[in-house]
Amino acid sequence: MKRRVLILSALLSTLFSVSASAQTEPVKVGVVTPLSGVYAGIGQQVRWGLELATREINAAGGINGRRVELIFEDEEANPAVATQKAEKLFQVNRVDFLTGTVSSGSTLAVGQVAERNNRLMATTVSFADSITGDRCSPNVFRVNARAGMQSAALAAWMVKERPNADVFFLGPDYEMGRSTVAAFKAAATARGAKAVGEVFAPLDNKDYSPYFGQIRAAKPSVIYTSVAGNDTVRFFNQMAEYGVNKNVVLVGASGTVTSQNLAAIGKAAEGFVTGAGYSPKLDSPQNRKFVADFQAAYKTLPDLYGADSYGLMYFLKTAAEKAKSVETDKLRVAMRDHEWATPQGTKRMRAGDHQAMQEMYAVRIEKGDFNIIGRVSPADAIGPDACTRF
Amino acid sequence: MIETLQFVYAPQIINGLSIGVAVILMALGLTIIFGLLDVINMSHGEFYAAGAFLGLTLVAIGVPFWVCIVLVPAVLFPLGVITEKFLIQKVFNSKERHILTLLLTFGIAIVLEDLFKIIWGANPSKLDSPIQGAVDLLGVMFPKYRLFLMIFGALIITGVWVLIYRTPIGAIIRASAHDRNMAASLGIPVTWVHALTFGFGVALAGLAGILLAPIYSVFPTMGKDFILMAFSVVIVGGLGSIKGAVVAGLLLTQLQSISSLFISPVWSDPLVFGVMIIVLMFKPSGLYGGLKNG
Amino acid sequence: MDKTGRLAIRAVEIALLASAFILVIVGTITGDSFYLRLATEALIFGGLALSVDLLLGIVGLLSLGQALYFGFGAYLSALILKEVYPSFLLAMCLVGIFSAALGYIASFIALRSKGVYFALITFGLAQVVAKGVYNTRALGASDGLIGVPVIKLWTPFGELDTANPSVLFGLTFLVILCLYYCVKYFLTTPMGSIWRGIRSNEHRLSFIGIESTGPKRFAFVIAAIVAGLSGALYPILRGFVSPELLYFAVSGNAVITVVLGGVGTLIGAIFGSVLLTVLKSVIGTITAHHHIVIGLIFVFVVIAAPGGLVGWLKKKLDMRLGADRD
Repeated sequence: MKRRVLILSALLSTLFSVSASAQTEPVKVGVVTPLSGVYAGIGQQVRWGLELATREINAAGGINGRRVELIFEDEEANPAVATQKAEKLFQVNRVDFLTGTVSSGSTLAVGQVAERNNRLMATTVSFADSITGDRCSPNVFRVNARAGMQSAALAAWMVKERPNADVFFLGPDYEMGRSTVAAFKAAATARGAKAVGEVFAPLDNKDYSPYFGQIRAAKPSVIYTSVAGNDTVRFFNQMAEYGVNKNVVLVGASGTVTSQNLAAIGKAAEGFVTGAGYSPKLDSPQNRKFVADFQAAYKTLPDLYGADSYGLMYFLKTAAEKAKSVETDKLRVAMRDHEWATPQGTKRMRAGDHQAMQEMYAVRIEKGDFNIIGRVSPADAIGPDACTRF
Repeated sequence: MIETLQFVYAPQIINGLSIGVAVILMALGLTIIFGLLDVINMSHGEFYAAGAFLGLTLVAIGVPFWVCIVLVPAVLFPLGVITEKFLIQKVFNSKERHILTLLLTFGIAIVLEDLFKIIWGANPSKLDSPIQGAVDLLGVMFPKYRLFLMIFGALIITGVWVLIYRTPIGAIIRASAHDRNMAASLGIPVTWVHALTFGFGVALAGLAGILLAPIYSVFPTMGKDFILMAFSVVIVGGLGSIKGAVVAGLLLTQLQSISSLFISPVWSDPLVFGVMIIVLMFKPSGLYGGLKNG
Repeated sequence: MDKTGRLAIRAVEIALLASAFILVIVGTITGDSFYLRLATEALIFGGLALSVDLLLGIVGLLSLGQALYFGFGAYLSALILKEVYPSFLLAMCLVGIFSAALGYIASFIALRSKGVYFALITFGLAQVVAKGVYNTRALGASDGLIGVPVIKLWTPFGELDTANPSVLFGLTFLVILCLYYCVKYFLTTPMGSIWRGIRSNEHRLSFIGIESTGPKRFAFVIAAIVAGLSGALYPILRGFVSPELLYFAVSGNAVITVVLGGVGTLIGAIFGSVLLTVLKSVIGTITAHHHIVIGLIFVFVVIAAPGGLVGWLKKKLDMRLGADRD
């Protein structure tokens, strides 16, 4: 009799430990982000934002009582590598959710991989409108602001501060550069501004001085640019060299000046205005705490990529707790029209196209700070739902 | 008409000149290395970057910019010599020299680029221009530093030409290029000449790096900035010819600069490439032939 | 190619064949997907490396722009499968024909020169076309084309679905096998001897009355077809294409794999591709600095083992069988 009880209790405890370990199996989040190459700086901010949030979430008990584990892979800013790594994360590491892609090419390609593996993914960086527009996917969510929203914030500011301005457009000649310029041009001219010239320089262009003649001849009061990274450093510094930026307001896309290149641009960035979904100077209790924690951990200020990646983990956590599961279909339902708290206030994930709605800011760089000089409400900024796939 | 000339064409031409000097400095080292050593240095761009990074660090610890201009090539010279002696010479005597040295320097380029990222980080850095401000040149503002660059660059180029064609050292270098074995049998330490010339070539690239850093900023992938243009210049000018590098450098950069007025800028690289092909089709050894021909 | 050389090649061929069989069997039983697909990708890039080795190791022409034909094949295949009709045979046939045409046209520009100039011209050609594709909206511009459907193959035994990793691996393996043996076959023909002669000493050939431009053009076109067909398999595997497939990094990687495997051995190219894919995957997971590790390995191989793996094997076989040969 004793032996039977022993065997029975041994069996029962094994059963319980098996189900208990299923409970304590971590929630795995795969991160495919550029850790080398041109976008490594952005990948670094993404990594920091995700890690900070994960530490906080785990300290508070995890998601549905399960610890969160981040698994990183380097996508080298190349969609071919990104899809391979994404597959590895889905099939070998068996992640429950994926994020981290930076370029829109990678996000679109990895989104397709997510569909084929029946998992969800989110981007916290890519701002091509098409990702939640005509190339939307039921498995892709976007937590950050998209190009149209950035343009809306900037255009709203410009109408107030520089009505009927003469605007010259300079962008890098690739999909993102062109569509960003087109979006802002449409938003600005609809509000009374005048387009006085447009030029597209090759990506990674070294020398912008060949275009200064054109710019000077057009006599703009505002120059809009969508260059980014190293191109911005060169464009702004060379403009300062030649005095092209005298008596001109420089405005641009939110990726144009970020914490990665601000130091290298230096004084030439003074006065630059952009429309963005975040600024480290945002004065809310949640953001103040976030910035303080971020600086303490990583000795540098967060930028929009770090902040949005941080916000993503809480999006995942609160949605998974609403669904009481991380299973794909349940999670997707929970994520649609979901509201959650972020350093930028409350965001809402629009169900129709999986685009997060948030307050947008006009941000000006003053003495190295990203100061907020204008706001647009989430509803005004978001723009129409162009997604017809679901 | 005069207005167009003054405000549209003149600035483009002057701009093209300043870019041209930069490209020629890069192409000089490349063409000398090929002319003498018969080595295609795929890592030339990375030595250019090394010069910029070195300059960045030296300036950051307080060394004045003008001292750095001397110091940077002085440091890169022995680095180049070591690279040649311990890496390139290992494959130099094989039958497949051209391909192996190309592949080897290609590998070195990969290692160097990642090394820069590891040591200095992925983000761009700024090197402040030592000469601030702009001058009024024919009614158009032109930065003083770029003017300095053009003059200083011209001086360097002339200096290199004088060194190679008017000094005993230059004669030794040209002799070794012309006929290795003969030069060796006359008592010239040819392997050392090779190593030193390689060091000289990459020191020039490094000098270009620090000189251009205030204009183009410093970041790990900057080696790729000029390399296609430099190779085009070297080929069009003639592998090994200094005069060729200068003429082709000026020609191609002017072409780029003025054509950007008429066609979309993205087509400027293909245009340069097209010119390179046409030159190769009609004069395969380039405009001026080799090192022997000046 | 002497006896030990042939033996070394045969050994690697058998090793690769055996590994492929084991992989398919184990993979199908365990229901693995990732490793089979990774191996499929390795084979696809192995095809590209094969085209590089044909030109470099056999004819003596270093092409730094084979990615042009690879990317061309990939884009054309994606467009056909997506917009015309999702048929494997249709895509492969059309890609084969048009790659040959592209190679033929390009040869008139590239073959004007030799050695260094040839390398730089092929490099430049690929850069220019890559830039063109990057800026063409109709081809998806910088984002590339997604949404290539998963294709099904008709066979007398029923329909096969390429969503099944084992099926796709088997298909890719067969294609690359065919390409490999076709190229090998050419080596046994008089054309093959002329190619080797060109690599050896092109100038002398003219003295014995053999004209070298025709054979070079032929090799160039064959290489374009091999690269194009390999590229055509890419969207079948990944469901998308992007301009990065035409970049120098792809051409450069192919050259690295050829050197790692052994220049001129053909099988070395495919082995090198498998090796590099494995290395990148493993090292990439361990550290973000995988470029420097691979760069160092590459430099080491170029200096210490220029014959690559097959060359190393040959040396070992020489030592082992050396006593018996004399």
